[in-house]
Amino acid sequence: MAIVEQPTPSPSLPVPAGEAAPLAVTPTTTLGVFKRPVEATGWRSWVFTVDHKKLGIMYSVTAFVFFLVGGIEALFIRLQLAQPDGTLLSADMYNQLFTMHATTMIFLFVMPITTGLANYFVPLQIGARDVAFPRLNAFGYWCFLAGGLFLYISAFTGGMADGGWFMYSPNSGPMFSPGHGVDFWVLALQMTGIASLTSSINLIVTVLNMRAPGMSLMKMPVFTWMSLVTQFLLVFAIPVITVALFLLSFQRLFGATFFDPNFGADPLLWQHLFWIFGHPEVYILILPSFGLVSEILPVFSRKPLFGYPFVVFSGAAIGFVGWGVWAHHMFASGLGPASVAAFSLTTMFIAVPTGVKIVNWIMTMWGGKLWFTTAMLFAMGLVVQFTIGGLSGVTHAVAPADTQQTDTYYIVAHFHYVLFGGAVFGLFGAFYYWWPKVFGKQLNEPLGKWNFWLMVIGMNLTFGPMHILGLQGQPRRMYLYDENMVGSGFFTLSFWNFMATLGALILAVGVLCFVVNVVRTSWFSKVRAPLDPWDARSYEWMTSSPPKEHNFDSIPAVHSLDEFFHRKYQEDEHGQLTKMATAEEILDDLETHADEHIHMPDMSYWPLVVAAGLPLIALGLIYSYVISGVGAVLVLLGAYGWAQEPASADPEDLEPPSGPSQELATVG
Amino acid sequence: MARAGADHAQHRAHPRRRRWLAVPALAALTVALGGCASDAPQDSLNPQGPQARTIDDLIMPIFAVAGVVLLIVVVAIGYCVFRFRDRPDRDEMPEQTHGKPALEIGLTIAPAVLLAVIGVFTVKTIFDLDEQPNDALQIDVVGQQWWWEFTYPALATETGGPIVTSGEMVIPAGEPIALRLTSRDVIHSFWIPPLNGKRDTVPGRVHTLTMEADEPGEYWGQCAEFCGLSHANMRMRVVALSAEDWDRWVANQQRLAAEPTDEQALAGMEQFTGLCASCHQVNGLVDAEGEPVIADAATQVVAGVAPDLTHLMSRTTFAGGTFDLKVPECTNDPEYTAEYVTGTADNCLNEAELEEWLRNPPAKKPMFSDPENLESTDGLYRGMPNLGLSEDQIDQLVAYLRTLK
Repeated sequence: MAIVEQPTPSPSLPVPAGEAAPLAVTPTTTLGVFKRPVEATGWRSWVFTVDHKKLGIMYSVTAFVFFLVGGIEALFIRLQLAQPDGTLLSADMYNQLFTMHATTMIFLFVMPITTGLANYFVPLQIGARDVAFPRLNAFGYWCFLAGGLFLYISAFTGGMADGGWFMYSPNSGPMFSPGHGVDFWVLALQMTGIASLTSSINLIVTVLNMRAPGMSLMKMPVFTWMSLVTQFLLVFAIPVITVALFLLSFQRLFGATFFDPNFGADPLLWQHLFWIFGHPEVYILILPSFGLVSEILPVFSRKPLFGYPFVVFSGAAIGFVGWGVWAHHMFASGLGPASVAAFSLTTMFIAVPTGVKIVNWIMTMWGGKLWFTTAMLFAMGLVVQFTIGGLSGVTHAVAPADTQQTDTYYIVAHFHYVLFGGAVFGLFGAFYYWWPKVFGKQLNEPLGKWNFWLMVIGMNLTFGPMHILGLQGQPRRMYLYDENMVGSGFFTLSFWNFMATLGALILAVGVLCFVVNVVRTSWFSKVRAPLDPWDARSYEWMTSSPPKEHNFDSIPAVHSLDEFFHRKYQEDEHGQLTKMATAEEILDDLETHADEHIHMPDMSYWPLVVAAGLPLIALGLIYSYVISGVGAVLVLLGAYGWAQEPASADPEDLEPPSGPSQELATVG
Repeated sequence: MARAGADHAQHRAHPRRRRWLAVPALAALTVALGGCASDAPQDSLNPQGPQARTIDDLIMPIFAVAGVVLLIVVVAIGYCVFRFRDRPDRDEMPEQTHGKPALEIGLTIAPAVLLAVIGVFTVKTIFDLDEQPNDALQIDVVGQQWWWEFTYPALATETGGPIVTSGEMVIPAGEPIALRLTSRDVIHSFWIPPLNGKRDTVPGRVHTLTMEADEPGEYWGQCAEFCGLSHANMRMRVVALSAEDWDRWVANQQRLAAEPTDEQALAGMEQFTGLCASCHQVNGLVDAEGEPVIADAATQVVAGVAPDLTHLMSRTTFAGGTFDLKVPECTNDPEYTAEYVTGTADNCLNEAELEEWLRNPPAKKPMFSDPENLESTDGLYRGMPNLGLSEDQIDQLVAYLRTLK
């Protein structure tokens, strides 16, 4: 365990002569006038928590709220485009909405919700009791929330960013994007960047150092593997966008000229920086869902994942090759034929490991015994829809064809098949699959089927026609298209645009089904889920649902991939695979052999204090340095308090005197 | 249906299997129908020149291959769903296969080989398309918020300067055209789908692109890189003329604008000189002293240039290719090339819309030209401001603009 153990004065262990006592390096008093938060219930137990599961839920819930916000923005976009010469939105408002839709869905929904799932499940899948740096974990969440809220403040201060999520210069410069929208956007992304960077380092350290005994890297569940690859991508990608954003904010706030062609700058610099981040970002968004579907398909096919090493290594290969394809976003930018040819080939190459995954998923189902739960349906939806997105991706890799396709709705169709049909379907599959684990209750299956089918129909009706729209010449990012360009006959561009809008509304109803399902399950259902509702295979199911604060009473040793499955099923005397033990029996066994001393990290308010300083600094950069000063003081004070704070609470802070740490120590 | 009485159980499998095949078939049919039934002017799958055709020839087989791969995936999954679904009669656990390395390596190499083949053709096409013939007619294309300017450096007008036009790029059909593209403010992208793929115009850089139209005709396009507020309204057309019409067009463009004869137009010319000529160039326009009036838009707009209006009536659109300069009856005229060569006939001018534009341009096409918001640009407009013209002024101006053929 990397968690710092509470220093317990033990008379039986005298400090060797000549060595400093441990107390000298671990301050026992907390800086500040408030006593350390120790509440196990109520709002304080959430706000000051460092528990990876609570933080995982907080990440996911916040991200889902942003998903709904981004979805509403998308509906406005689709309603505006339902027919030629739409009048619902002004050009200005439309430009703001498509910028915010993309920014929200990428930075405030998919990224944080995958972080949330990784936060919750990676420690559970590797047999850890928390992440390596629990307070840093809390800090990451608060940075994400601060960034998200900060971004949306701009809606009330004179207009949101309107330069597109790619924010190409020089259009994003002070001359062409006056107002503070872009400033809010840049600074908000810096904050969510801090969140991503801290959580990625945290998860990498956790995975590399805190696995259960016997869990070699090649016995790690695939979701954990794909999360690990994702975190490495984040560690290297986030600094690139951070640099780009700093350059842009210096240009906007302090008159620098990094991207200003009037001073000899080349605006393509921004594009390179943005896409060197931006393309790995695509894999950051999709790889966690690749992991999810690789968990779900085997469980509901009742077979192990076909070709586990191939899936793992193709994921890692994508993680590497993903760095060498960024300029395929710039085939029309005028890079010259040599660069275009090189990036065209690397982009085709990356289709190979992706194809490997699809083959393996199909082969996992092949010969299995398929159980079509909602989770399984979403996973299968991912496989088909991601294939469509992947194939249209190959057509863009063909650079000459891409010069016809890029910046049209064909691209919009492509990446929504990949990111909505792929990433988001994987996430919804995970919601259904892991809901009983997290909340101890199962989401309603019939309602789940409605959820799935409405989303499948809605998604394909929305994004399918966009292939046609794009190939027939409708560019992206246009607040209107006119009657003259829709063509004649029945299947005009107006028709397909209308279909896409209809699809978006169906999709919205599908998402609404999920919300209803959650509300119904959480507040109106008393039925407890069985301990092992899906007859699952992996490690995280070897604990109670929801898991206790310390995850496992004793850490089960790992002998094979799909450890849980192998504890349940063994071959009988006829060589027939038979269920030898139930989940309850396995859990009972683990509880009987519970560890005697379990030390958990204690709550802290310092991460929140530091994170609260950041939006103030940012706000001050836009309006008045005085506010920045206040923010800077908060950050410094918070960091100092954080550094001085011991990992475990002072016993005097605990109320009653035997707080959680002590309680846990007597488990079993 | 007569066989409805046949053994039910025996035939049950068939409709189910067919239903799964029906999904991709239906999808393919829908796409095919969608592709065929429309004649959208910006259709990228309807090549009208050698460059666009090269791209089309490359991508069509790839679409077909992609379709086949999709079909295989969907059929395989459909088969799994049908064949391996959980049924009450199957209570044993399936065989716990962990993988078949030979199969997996095979299924890794197969797509890699397929992609390598595609790669070879792709790279060849990339370099082919990059070639620009030396004897091609050169046109400089400049994007700015939110219109296109076309300059013909090899074709001098009577002023000595090159032919400059906007909104519509007129070319001779059947001849390769070498474009040099740049921008005066933000990044735009020049895209005429029937003739070639798009190429960004980046300030501070000059990119090249070759295009050629097989036949005389109008080819529509649109700015394809998001360029701010009125990106959606930044349109352009390529007009290919027969060799004979092309020569007449060039001759007409080389002429200076003649002084109008009727009184209303003369009054309009005075208005124009006072109100418009500081930004909009009209070659041949002279001031009271007989000196040529030279536009200097740099003092008023960010891009530093406004459209040259010397031969406004030899175009079919105005305001950045956004609005029709002709009434619909005239734009549908099959003899449309006449307008480019001799100018709009008097009965064809879309006067209502032109007047509406002059009355308040930013209301008709969103532009950044509210005088109260120009702090960030040091008082320069992006687009055309509302000049607050009276109805009399508008009538006079339209009368003058009519003479700019």
